[in-house]
Amino acid sequence: MTNTSPELLHGTLDALVLKTLAAGRRHGYGIARAIEDATEGVVDIEEGSLYPALYRMERKGWIEAEWGLSELGRRAKFYRLTPKGRRQLTAQTAEWTRFAAAISRVLITP
Amino acid sequence: MNPFNRVWWRPPVDDEVDEELSFHLEMRTRELIAAGMDPAAARGEAERRLGDLGRMRNTLHALGAKRNHHMARTQYLGELRQDLVFTARQLIKNPGFTAVAVLTLALGIGATTAIFSAVYAVVLQPLPLQDPSRLMLVGEVWEGRPQVMSVGNYVDTDAAVPDFEHGLAAFNYANYNLADETAPERVVGARVTANYFDVMGVRPVLGRTFTADEDRPGNDRVVVLSHRLWTRRFGASESAVGRELRMNGAAYRIAGVMPKSFDLTADSEELWTPIAFTPAQRAMHDEHYLSVYGRLKPGVSRQQAQAKLDAVAMRLRHDFPKDDETVSFGTVPFVEQFVGDVRKRLLTLLAAVGLVLLIACGNVANLLLARGAARAREISVRTALGAGRGRIVRQLLTESVVLAFCAAGAGLLVARGAIVAVMAWSPNDVPRLDQAHIDPLALGFAIAVALVSSVLCGLAPALRLARRDVQLGLRDGGRGSTGGLRDRLRGGLIMAEVALSLLLLVGAGLLIRSAIALQRTNTGFEPHGVLSARVTLPETSFAEPARIHETLRRINEAAAGIPGVSSAAITSYAAMGNGGGSNGLVPEGREPIAANFINSTLRVITPGFFSTMGVPIVKGRNFNDGDRADGQRVMIISARLAAVAFPGQDPIGKRIGCCEPGPDALKVVIGVAGDIRSRGPAVAPKPEFYLPIAQTPDVVWNWFRTVYVVVRTTGDPAAIVKPLNAAVALVDRDLPLFDVRTMEQRLAGSLATARFNTLLLSLLGAIGLVLAATGIYGVIAYFVSQRTQEIGVRMALGATSGSVVRLILGQALRPVAIGAVVGVAAALGASRVLSSQLFGVSPTDPLTIAAVVATLIGVALLASAVPARRAAAVDPTRALQSE
Repeated sequence: MTNTSPELLHGTLDALVLKTLAAGRRHGYGIARAIEDATEGVVDIEEGSLYPALYRMERKGWIEAEWGLSELGRRAKFYRLTPKGRRQLTAQTAEWTRFAAAISRVLITP
Repeated sequence: MNPFNRVWWRPPVDDEVDEELSFHLEMRTRELIAAGMDPAAARGEAERRLGDLGRMRNTLHALGAKRNHHMARTQYLGELRQDLVFTARQLIKNPGFTAVAVLTLALGIGATTAIFSAVYAVVLQPLPLQDPSRLMLVGEVWEGRPQVMSVGNYVDTDAAVPDFEHGLAAFNYANYNLADETAPERVVGARVTANYFDVMGVRPVLGRTFTADEDRPGNDRVVVLSHRLWTRRFGASESAVGRELRMNGAAYRIAGVMPKSFDLTADSEELWTPIAFTPAQRAMHDEHYLSVYGRLKPGVSRQQAQAKLDAVAMRLRHDFPKDDETVSFGTVPFVEQFVGDVRKRLLTLLAAVGLVLLIACGNVANLLLARGAARAREISVRTALGAGRGRIVRQLLTESVVLAFCAAGAGLLVARGAIVAVMAWSPNDVPRLDQAHIDPLALGFAIAVALVSSVLCGLAPALRLARRDVQLGLRDGGRGSTGGLRDRLRGGLIMAEVALSLLLLVGAGLLIRSAIALQRTNTGFEPHGVLSARVTLPETSFAEPARIHETLRRINEAAAGIPGVSSAAITSYAAMGNGGGSNGLVPEGREPIAANFINSTLRVITPGFFSTMGVPIVKGRNFNDGDRADGQRVMIISARLAAVAFPGQDPIGKRIGCCEPGPDALKVVIGVAGDIRSRGPAVAPKPEFYLPIAQTPDVVWNWFRTVYVVVRTTGDPAAIVKPLNAAVALVDRDLPLFDVRTMEQRLAGSLATARFNTLLLSLLGAIGLVLAATGIYGVIAYFVSQRTQEIGVRMALGATSGSVVRLILGQALRPVAIGAVVGVAAALGASRVLSSQLFGVSPTDPLTIAAVVATLIGVALLASAVPARRAAAVDPTRALQSE
C-alpha cells in the first residue's frame, strides 16, 4: 500500500477481482490464485490489500458473500458478483481501456 | 435480539475474519508445500505474503462492522418500504375499516391538538417581555393575595426596597375620550410611572417613552400609543410621533409608539400617559387602586424581596395606624397574575380531551383486534414462511402508525375547525386565546400524539396476533381461537372505555347541574327590559363637582324623556361587570379601626335606580328631591349590610360613617334595599350601600369618573340604543356612550364562562359516550359472530331465544359493570378539580353520578341488544352445518 500509486492499484485491483468473479463464485484465496494465473505471474497481487478490497466491495453491494464448502471440504467464504457489480465491471473495463489507450498514445508515439 | 439490525445469515464479524484468513493461510501453505517447501517454511512464507496479520485483522474487523451496519440499514429500509406498501394495500382493500379507524382517531387527535394550541397560546407561550420570570406584581395582601396599593404605600415601598431593577412601577387604568377631526372615540388607557416600560422590559418601536421629568403634575401632557391604536387612528404613519392628540378635551403630545407584541391581549389598554402624582397623592395612604409591578434584580429571590417588603409594612403599620393598621405586602409572578384561573380551566379541558383520545384509541384497538382475528390465517402463513415474531409485530405496528398519521392529517383539519369554533364561542375573559392557531408546534404535537396513540391502540393487538401458535392458526382455518368475551383484552378495553366516559360524563353532568342552578338563582333585580350604557366625565372638562352633578342630572332627564322609557337612572355601578368601588363602613358607636370596617360596595345613584333596576325597598323610604346637597346626609343600605351592621335591630335612623372625613361622614340610614348578586349569580350578595348623587362626597369623583345610565323600557330595549345615544349627545356632544348593553346581556355575559365550559365538557362527554357505545357494540357483535356455532348447539339442546339474549347481555354487562365501578371511584377522586366551577352542587353529587351510571348502562344495554337479538335469531341447523 505504500510503494504503489494507491489510486491505480485500487481501481485496478477492484476491476481484476470483479473480472475474476464474473466467471463464477470464488473464495478469497481462489481469487488471488486466479489473478496470478491469468496474468501469468506478471501481476502478483498484494495479498494484504485483497481482503480489505473485498470487504469494501461487499459494502458497496458489488459482490456478496456466502458460506459454503471448499473443494477440500472445508468451510469457506465465497464471493459472487451482484448485478450492480457486473455493471461496475463494464464501467471499469471501459475506463481502463480509455486510460490505457491514452497512456499508450503518450508512451508509444516516437 | 433487536430486530432492527439483525442480519440473520451472518456469523459475528470476529469469527468471519479469523476463519477467512486462516482458510487463506492454510490453502497458501498447502500450495507452497506442494511446490516443494518444507511445512514450517511454507507456513512462514504464507504469513509473510499476507503482511501484518494483527493489523489486517483489525482493518477487516472495522470494515466488516461498517459493512454489516450499512447492510442492516439497507435491509431495514427495504423492509419498511415493503411494510408501507403492504399496509397501503391493506388499508385500501378495507375502506370501511380504514375510514372508521381514521375518523375515530382524527376526532381524538384533533380535539387534543386544538385544546393544546389554546393551552400553549394562553398558558405556556412566553410573554413578549424581557425575562418575564423576574417580573412580579407587588401589592397589599387582601383576601390572601397581593392586590392593589395606595399611592402613599407605593411611594414608601419603592423608596425602601432596593431589590427591584428600575424601581417599582405603578399602573392605573384610565378612560380617555379621543376627539379630533373624526368622531369621538373612547379608549381604555393607563396612567403609569415613567419607569413602567423599563420595568416591563419593552422598548418603543418609534419615538421614546416618558422622562422622569414628564412624570410630574403640570408637565404630563404626553402620550405613548399602543401599536393597535397607532395603526387604527394614524394608519401606522411615522409622522404621528410629535403630533398632538386631543384627549379628554386637552392636547397631548405623542412621544412614541410601543411594539405590536406589547398589545398583550385583544382588549388590553391602548395608550399610556404619565401618572404624575401630586405631593398630596404621594402622602395618601388610604384609597387603594394602584397596580404595582417590579422586576427582581438578577440573583434576588422572591423571599429576599419579601423580607424587605415585610420590614416596610411593619414601619407603615406604625407610621399610619389609621390607614395601614393591617397592611402587609406580597408578590406574585406577573405571568400567573396575567393568566389567572384560566390556567386551571384549560388544563382540566386538556385532561378531558385526553380522555376522549384514550377512548378513541380503545375503539381503534378494538377494530384492530377484530381485524387481526380475521387475518389470523394470513399471519400464520407468513410465520410459517419464516417471518419472525418481531417482523410480524413490526408489520402490524406499521399499520397502526400509518393509520395514526392519516388520522393526524385529518385531525389537523378537525383541530382547525375546533379552534375557530372555540374562539367564536368562548367568553372573552381568556387572555391571548386569539393567538391560538395551528403552527409547527401544534403540528409537532399532533404527530407526537399520533405516534403515542398508534402504539396505544396497535401494540396489544399486534403482540397478541404475533404470539399465536402457527400450527393452531393453520389448523383451525383462521377461526379465532381466542374469541368471545372471556377474552381479557377485549373485556379490559370495554371496561376502560366505560370508566373513561363515566369520568367525562360525571364532569359534564356536574357542570350542567351547576348551570341549571345558576339559571334559577334570583339575582335580586329584574333584568328584563333594562338597557344600560356607560359614560365617562373626564377630569379636564369636569373639574367642578357641581358641573358633574348638573350634567348627570340633565342626562338623566333626557333619558327619562325618551318615548318607550318608563324610568331612568344614573348610577356609579349597575351590576355584572366592571365599575363601582367599595368602602369600609363603621356604624356609629364603634371604634374606627380596621377590624370594625364593613367592606361594602358603593353605588351613587339618582332616585330612579330602584324602580329602573327592579330592586325592592324592603324597609324605610327611597331617596327623593328633598335629599339635597345642603341637607342631612342619608344612605340606603342593603339587607345584607343591615344584617351585618345592626344584627337584630331596626337599622332605620341609625348612623354609619363612611367615605369622607369631617362632620358629613356620618350618614343616616333611611331605607333598606333588597340584596343584589352584583358580581354574578354564582357570587353570594355582599354588603352594599347607596348614596344620593346630589350628596356625593367630592372625593368620590377622584375614585371614578365613569357612570352608568340605566333605563327601563316598555318595549324592546335594543330599540332605545339610538335614541339614548342621541339624547346624551344633545346634552354634551363630547361624551360618547360606551359598553351599551341590555342587563340581560350583562347577566348572560357573567355566565358566559360557565356556559362555555359546560358546553365544551358536555360535547366531549357526548363524544366519549358515542365512542364507548360503538366500542361495546363492536365487541359484542364480534363475540356473537364467533359464537354462532356454540349458540346453535345451545339452541338445539333446548335453550330459548330469551335465555340466549340473557347470556349475551350478561357477558356484555360484566366488563361494563366493572368499568362503571372503576369510573365512579375515579370520578369521586377527580371531580374535585372542578369544584371551583361548580355552583349549588357538590363534586360528589350522588344524583349526578347515579344518572350518569344509569345512562351509561342503558347505552351499553342498547349497544349490545342489537347483536344479542341477532344471536337469538340463529337457526340451529344452519349454524351447525356451517362448520
